[in-house]
Amino acid sequence: MQEDLWFTMGKIPARLPAGILYAKNHMWARPETGLNGNGLFRHGFTHYAILLMKDVYFLEWNISEGDPVSQSQEIGHIETSKAESGLYCPAAGTLVRFNAALLNDPSAINTDGYGAGWLFDLDAPETGYMNAEQYLKFLSDNWEKTQAMLKGKMNQIEDDES
Amino acid sequence: MSKGKLTVVISQAPGKNPAKRALEENLAASLLMEPGIELSIIPHLYDLGPDHTGRLFLESIPGDMVVLAWLFPRAAFWLLDRDGIRGTEGQSPLHPKAEKDDEDADEPPPEKAPGIGPVGEIPDRTIWCLDLRDHAGHQIYLEEIRRIGAEAALLREGRQAAKQATKPPAVITLGLPTQKKPAPEFTPETLLAPPSRRWYPVIDYSRCTNCMECLDFCLFGVYGVDGLDRILVENQDSCKKGCPACSRVCPEQAIIFPDYKSAAIAGAPVGNIGGLKIDLSKLFGGEDPMVVAAQERDRELVRDGRDAVGLAVGIPKRQTDKPKGPRDELDSLVDALDSLDI
Repeated sequence: MQEDLWFTMGKIPARLPAGILYAKNHMWARPETGLNGNGLFRHGFTHYAILLMKDVYFLEWNISEGDPVSQSQEIGHIETSKAESGLYCPAAGTLVRFNAALLNDPSAINTDGYGAGWLFDLDAPETGYMNAEQYLKFLSDNWEKTQAMLKGKMNQIEDDES
Repeated sequence: MSKGKLTVVISQAPGKNPAKRALEENLAASLLMEPGIELSIIPHLYDLGPDHTGRLFLESIPGDMVVLAWLFPRAAFWLLDRDGIRGTEGQSPLHPKAEKDDEDADEPPPEKAPGIGPVGEIPDRTIWCLDLRDHAGHQIYLEEIRRIGAEAALLREGRQAAKQATKPPAVITLGLPTQKKPAPEFTPETLLAPPSRRWYPVIDYSRCTNCMECLDFCLFGVYGVDGLDRILVENQDSCKKGCPACSRVCPEQAIIFPDYKSAAIAGAPVGNIGGLKIDLSKLFGGEDPMVVAAQERDRELVRDGRDAVGLAVGIPKRQTDKPKGPRDELDSLVDALDSLDI
């Protein structure tokens, strides 16, 4: 068992389990084996994302299970105690299923974000996801810009594609 | 509107949501029994066109009023202002201005960059706007209306005293008194004639700085300027249904689409940490708001048989090193995220 990594946001540590993958939109992805094979990943919010959002009040998907999706496509909407956001698909593929349990009560996202709070399964042949070390570096490299963005200076920020 | 009575107006939710109707009806029933209250019910405020009886009725109310609507109070207040139904915005504990943590309770409120404010003279009366989405039961609204009733009575006394102190010289009118415009008939039926849905922006002049970015951005002729070169929503019905793009472009969050799904655009109270949400879309993989705004605008242009213009027209080029103006509640709100009291 590999050690978890931690990213410190100000004073608050965000846990990044080793051994799973991470997308730039702050979702984790865990390969699902045994079903139709190679490209199926379970996705959820990283602890980092959850710390920014705080308590999830409302989660809504605007596509259906089985729909083809493109990368960055808006697939849903989330409202939390501190934030609201569109939800975007981290990779192109087919949205296989949503976590139905969350639609009645999304609190599992907060209580068990890397487990029962998973969001959806996506069949994606190519992902370009990062491992935990790479995600940790991605977070550190962008933390300053992220803080600036949270302060509403959105127009000054270039998308980081590095 | 007899003397000493408080006018209370319930603005119904569009559609037939039974839970919303029930709240409206329960509240109406208890207000009818309430002394000192003059109650009227009108359709959804946002949908009332200039000729709707409900709107004429609102215009005819001379004194203080309470408007209960399925809208954020800020949206309702500036919507009324645009329609010429004006006054001072009444404060209500039902929609706290800022829901701050106690730790910074001692700090003075941050300086707010002043908007240009409403144009012209504001009549000496108060308009309280309450959001019917805040609570499911009618009792809390009833109690708040009672509290407002008491506050309004005090305000009335104050005004009377002021008037007495500065009594104007008596004017003797000679000849026939001028004919007053006959008031239209305000029956429940005409008041509640169902309007069709409308879609247009509402400017919050307490935030608007008259920067004209909305005028440059909108290519549908919705915005114009008045005789004093102040921005205004000139042609409400030229606006494209469902398109909130100009609101994303506004640097002061002064443009409200009261029926839009996201709270920040629908006029959530600025400074209310519980109400106004930080938009994390960009962090979670969404596009820059300017890009989204341009896409929304292009969609409407193409629908009109015009050419899409993308980011080429009317996109503000903000200076990144612009000196910072005085801080306002919205700035402190985002600062609050900084400390992330998790």
